[in-house]
Amino acid sequence: MFEGKLRKLFTPHSVAVIGASENFEKLGYHVMKSLIKGGYKGAVYPVNPNSKTLWGKEAYSSVSNIKGQVDLAIIVVPTERVPKVLEECGKKQVNGAVIITAGYRETEKDEGKLLEDEIRRISERFEIPIIGPNTFGFVNITDCVNASFTYEFSLIKKGGVTLISQSGGFCHLIGFLAIEERVGMAKLMSLGNRVNIDFPEAVKYFLDEDRETRVIVLYIEGIDVPRRLFETIERAKNKKPIIAYKSGRNEKGDAASKFHTGSLAGNYRIWKGAFRQWGILEVQDSEDLIDTAKALDSCEPLMGSRIAVLSGQAGPGIIAADILEKEGLSLSKFSDQTQKKINEILPPLAIRTNPVDMGPAWHSPQRIISLLNVVSEDENTDGILFLNMFASANISLVSELEKTLRDNEPFKKPIIACLNAPSGVWDEEINKIDGEKGFCVIRTPERAARTMANLHRVSRMME
Amino acid sequence: MDKLLLGMEALDFLKNEGFPVLRSIIAKSPGQALTNAEMIGYPVVLKISSKKVIHKTEIGGVKTQIINDVGLMNAFDELIEKFVSSFDREYLEGVIVQESGKGLEFIVGVYEDKQFGPVIMLGHGGIHVEALNDVSFRLLPIRKRDARLMIEDLLISKVLFSSRQDEIDALLIEEFLIKVSNLVEKNPKIKEMDLNPVFVSKEIKICDARIRLSI
Repeated sequence: MFEGKLRKLFTPHSVAVIGASENFEKLGYHVMKSLIKGGYKGAVYPVNPNSKTLWGKEAYSSVSNIKGQVDLAIIVVPTERVPKVLEECGKKQVNGAVIITAGYRETEKDEGKLLEDEIRRISERFEIPIIGPNTFGFVNITDCVNASFTYEFSLIKKGGVTLISQSGGFCHLIGFLAIEERVGMAKLMSLGNRVNIDFPEAVKYFLDEDRETRVIVLYIEGIDVPRRLFETIERAKNKKPIIAYKSGRNEKGDAASKFHTGSLAGNYRIWKGAFRQWGILEVQDSEDLIDTAKALDSCEPLMGSRIAVLSGQAGPGIIAADILEKEGLSLSKFSDQTQKKINEILPPLAIRTNPVDMGPAWHSPQRIISLLNVVSEDENTDGILFLNMFASANISLVSELEKTLRDNEPFKKPIIACLNAPSGVWDEEINKIDGEKGFCVIRTPERAARTMANLHRVSRMME
Repeated sequence: MDKLLLGMEALDFLKNEGFPVLRSIIAKSPGQALTNAEMIGYPVVLKISSKKVIHKTEIGGVKTQIINDVGLMNAFDELIEKFVSSFDREYLEGVIVQESGKGLEFIVGVYEDKQFGPVIMLGHGGIHVEALNDVSFRLLPIRKRDARLMIEDLLISKVLFSSRQDEIDALLIEEFLIKVSNLVEKNPKIKEMDLNPVFVSKEIKICDARIRLSI
């Protein structure tokens, strides 16, 4: 619909902030901060009729006074003034807009709906793609474009996960979890009232046009014509995994129907079926979502269901093995050759078959890393859970691991690791290896095992 | 306005569309019932046939496991008695004599959802569909792969794919689902449909159905 315009909207060479401010109480302050402190490289034009300069830049009384082309206008003026400002953007041939201002269809007041209709009409007349209104904006992590009112999103590391959300709050939840869990993201956006960019438009753009996006995450509360979303995904051709988190789960069927089918056709049941039909992995909570997105982005696909558990201490290994089996995966049976090599590295003091108790070697990083390398070459193993809890004597494990990973070729199978230590002990080294060379760190053995199971589901769905 | 097809009418509609249906013949009298049972062969099932009755089991309108003429006569009389205690006799169309179904019972349904449009459902069938709640939905139309995954979605699929059983051919369900999908695609007047139960063994046969058509 907006050929070429969405690319310019998400990667603009110039941004006008309409309603820019130096007053902390105004959203226009925070948007300017996000852009500038977030490292935006293009031209920034603050627009505010009451100032000559803002944030050290020349301020404009109106978008029409800006001399250069404007690729993106971020609008944060009061509700009633938005249509007029948008009209000016249209005349100025602004390429696209983010309308952060709220107070439209989402309110109980009729004026809100009328104003939103007006915004829609103007956007149609000038063919302007709009994110919002009533959104926190979007953040293009890849190119350092923080078009939102929360600067801290710029602290997310660069990667391939893109979040398209129906809620700004959910973006904040996931964005900050992503920082904590070192998840690399490409873009995140909240659709707001979806005046003309809705799920189908956004999904299509990130599937087909955005090269940095490798994994798409959807947060959906409810949409009017869900079929339109699904039909934008060409299941047979799609190579990018899609994860969905659906809230507002209405299980109630059609109470008026005298048929079994109608009375069972609850909205959420149909959503579940449609997700399966289009090969979309449904997750049940934020942790599941963030872990799975992270592993999908950093690891090779899991090509089978045979998993090796290598654990520095027996307990976490047993916990992980329980969950793997419950989730339908199996413990791999090592080839004779692999088993022989393991037996050479580990003394017969603990269990040397899967799940492997690396306990007898726990104080020797070299031997632990050798075990990982040996098992990663095992022909009967499709993926590895590598679990290591800190103890004073293995303090050098992660720095040794970092050296090894630096020299090694990337792993050809997913390696999901738990590296748990008091904060400050391993953090720096973990930062360097997490997400590199097909190696991904997840917080607990339970979550690591569940993530492995999700990798398996995604591989099966994308067959 | 909608038109509701029940009992024989629904089964005939499906039969004309090429669907496998349990052999069913309506009887207007006890004598006809005996002849029908003779043609079909015992054991048979008797079902009340009336526009007034949507859920036959709920009003005691079904008699199963009838193995001989005496049983047939008794069941016939009981069904009629039950019916006239609740409805006017003029609404009675007759009693369906039906071949007994074999195997597992499934439900295959179609529904036009306000948001999603036409959807198809596969579930663990019979009269306890809602209570068991072992169902799976897809948006219509569906492809072969969708049909297979719908079966896998069900808890009862553990029985189907268990190595202990070789009495039930799951592939038949796949083909059946595709056939229903094609029917609805070709026939957009179908707004709602319960094929329940559908018996699956080495063969697949519709036992009962109700269909809502828009006209």
